Amino acid sequence: MDMSAEQPHLLLVDDERSIREPLAQYLTKQGFRVTQVGDAEAARTRLTAYAIDLVILDVMMPGEDGLSLCRHIRATSETPVILLTAKTEETDRIVGLEMGADDYVVKPFSPRELAARIKVVLRRMAGGGARQHAPDSGSFAFAGWVLKTGERALVDREGVSVPLSTGEYNLLLALVTRPRQVLTRDQLLDLTQGREAAAFDRAIDNQVSRLRKKVEADVRNPTLIKTVWGGGYTLAAEVTRL
Amino acid sequence: MRRRWPTSLPGQIALLVAIALFVAQAINFALLLRERRQLRLASATNPAIVRLIDASERLDAGRNLPADRPRNRVRLSRTSPIPAGRPEVRQAEEAIRSGLSDAGLRFSRVETALQPMSRDTARRRSMVARGVRRREGMQELLVAVEQPGRGWLTLSVPWVRADRGVVAQLIAQTLILYGIVLLAVFWIGHRIARPLRSLAAAARGFRPGSDAAPVREEGPEDVRSVIAAYNALGTRVTAMLDEKDRMLGAIGHDLRTPLAALRVRIESVEDEGDRARMADIIDEIARTLEDILSLARLGRSSEPPVEVDLAALVDAVVDDFRDLGADVTLDDVARLPVRLRPLLMRRAVRNLIENAVKYAGAAEVSVSGAANGGARVAVLDRGPGIPADRLDTVFDAFIRVETSRNRGTGGIGLGLALARAIVEEAGGTLTLANREGGGLAAVMLLPRGTPA
Repeated sequence: MDMSAEQPHLLLVDDERSIREPLAQYLTKQGFRVTQVGDAEAARTRLTAYAIDLVILDVMMPGEDGLSLCRHIRATSETPVILLTAKTEETDRIVGLEMGADDYVVKPFSPRELAARIKVVLRRMAGGGARQHAPDSGSFAFAGWVLKTGERALVDREGVSVPLSTGEYNLLLALVTRPRQVLTRDQLLDLTQGREAAAFDRAIDNQVSRLRKKVEADVRNPTLIKTVWGGGYTLAAEVTRL
Repeated sequence: MRRRWPTSLPGQIALLVAIALFVAQAINFALLLRERRQLRLASATNPAIVRLIDASERLDAGRNLPADRPRNRVRLSRTSPIPAGRPEVRQAEEAIRSGLSDAGLRFSRVETALQPMSRDTARRRSMVARGVRRREGMQELLVAVEQPGRGWLTLSVPWVRADRGVVAQLIAQTLILYGIVLLAVFWIGHRIARPLRSLAAAARGFRPGSDAAPVREEGPEDVRSVIAAYNALGTRVTAMLDEKDRMLGAIGHDLRTPLAALRVRIESVEDEGDRARMADIIDEIARTLEDILSLARLGRSSEPPVEVDLAALVDAVVDDFRDLGADVTLDDVARLPVRLRPLLMRRAVRNLIENAVKYAGAAEVSVSGAANGGARVAVLDRGPGIPADRLDTVFDAFIRVETSRNRGTGGIGLGLALARAIVEEAGGTLTLANREGGGLAAVMLLPRGTPA
């Protein structure tokens, strides 16, 4: 009984039983306590009845959809939300994240990946306290550049969009959301691997030098992404959220 | 030869009307001319006939010929005063002959001739006074009639030669007519042709779902109804495509859901290798599904075109492939801003590289400015290439060149078809060619676009 109190309590909202039930089973095996419901209305009552640690929410549901429920959760609590999106159209992802979701996975998703992301979000919540925004929604302006999260691109002073690879994007996102903080290689690796598995074995240094080529005026003498002796990297610029 | 004819509607109508007008005018002219001739003939011969009859009757009565003014005088002579060889005026001769016989006058021969009017005579002055101009020729018609046993009665009457005035008048008349009628014709033609032209332009530029304003209904009723029908057609096409999108969305959802369920279920498969293979297959089905949906939705993209550094875009895609451990090389390139939809273009580039990696295990990518001011992206591989006779069909969405490129279960047809559709939607071209020494070269040419 005491065990269950330490287990994070997840609320799984999906109208598709064929996904919901095996997923709940899998997550339970992974050490989560899972409550599953089939629609938004049931989700609302469970949210008030239990202390839910995280909501896994299907976007496409008959009746009230996931985005609407997500907005409701964000308006009433700090409970983190991970969206299960059916569409890969980028605009849907952006909308989801702007609704205040903490993360998303695209169907068909790997349950392992979902479990990993749940852990990342829960850890972030435990460590960071109050969250202001979803990590990657909107735009960040720094030193004349604008990082657009939806397009995964940097926009330069002339308005020309400079697309970033997944690795570059994840690294830059980690940096712009923590300006003037020193981030060690381990921290950066940890921050950037929450998303696609792609960036896992890529050396952070390599990605940093790629990014520097794009944003630094002089790659040999970087002024934006600075190397901290013995520590790691830091973004030496003011960042404004747009 | 064909080019000499006007091809536009107003031009053709105007040409037809001009020809018809000309023919009508020519007929009018011929009739008018004939009438004028007859009138002239009558005005010359009638007084001559009257005077001849009068003279004959006087002679019959034993009186002398009247001592008229010299210009009207009838003279009597033994022989014909008309020298042989003078041009005769047959019509006048005929008219006088019939006039005299109608009056019951006895005569045997009639001769006529034209001669220039003697200068400075009263007759000449009178003709000038009547407005007969010099160049129209002031002539006299000399008439000689032989009466058996009496000799030749001769007289002269004024003769106005040509109808040059009439010709000038007719030309002027025709020109005025042309001016008025053709102006009207051009106006009508324009009124019909302009809405037709805007209709043609709208039909050419038709992009389903682009929310283009309907073509303005103008012009004559018939043209208006054609435009209305076209507008209705456009609305129906857009509605059908919307319906197709909804259907595709539903299909996508209905296929993704069981796929997602399957993906969750396979986590319970004990064998690690089996599970990984299953996951790969599910991912591939999902990717194919996405490609199908993107291909079907292309052209109705919600993504706006923006200025993008194409070199950085290709570089980003290449970097993603390297992350996955693929052997993809890219030369360092300078900034190359191009106006395009970045997410779609990423997909096109990704599909090209994916195809090369799939069939050849490696890809050489290059980005450069093209000669025409556009941009060029080339993806080269050393794979088996495509048989020359199938290069054309490889783009047909669901054709795979299995006979030569049957490595794995790669969906070359769909991936490349989507890439080409994206490139063409951006106003560019994608061509495939076999390389010397083996392998395939996929070359994408993009216009720089107009920086708004």
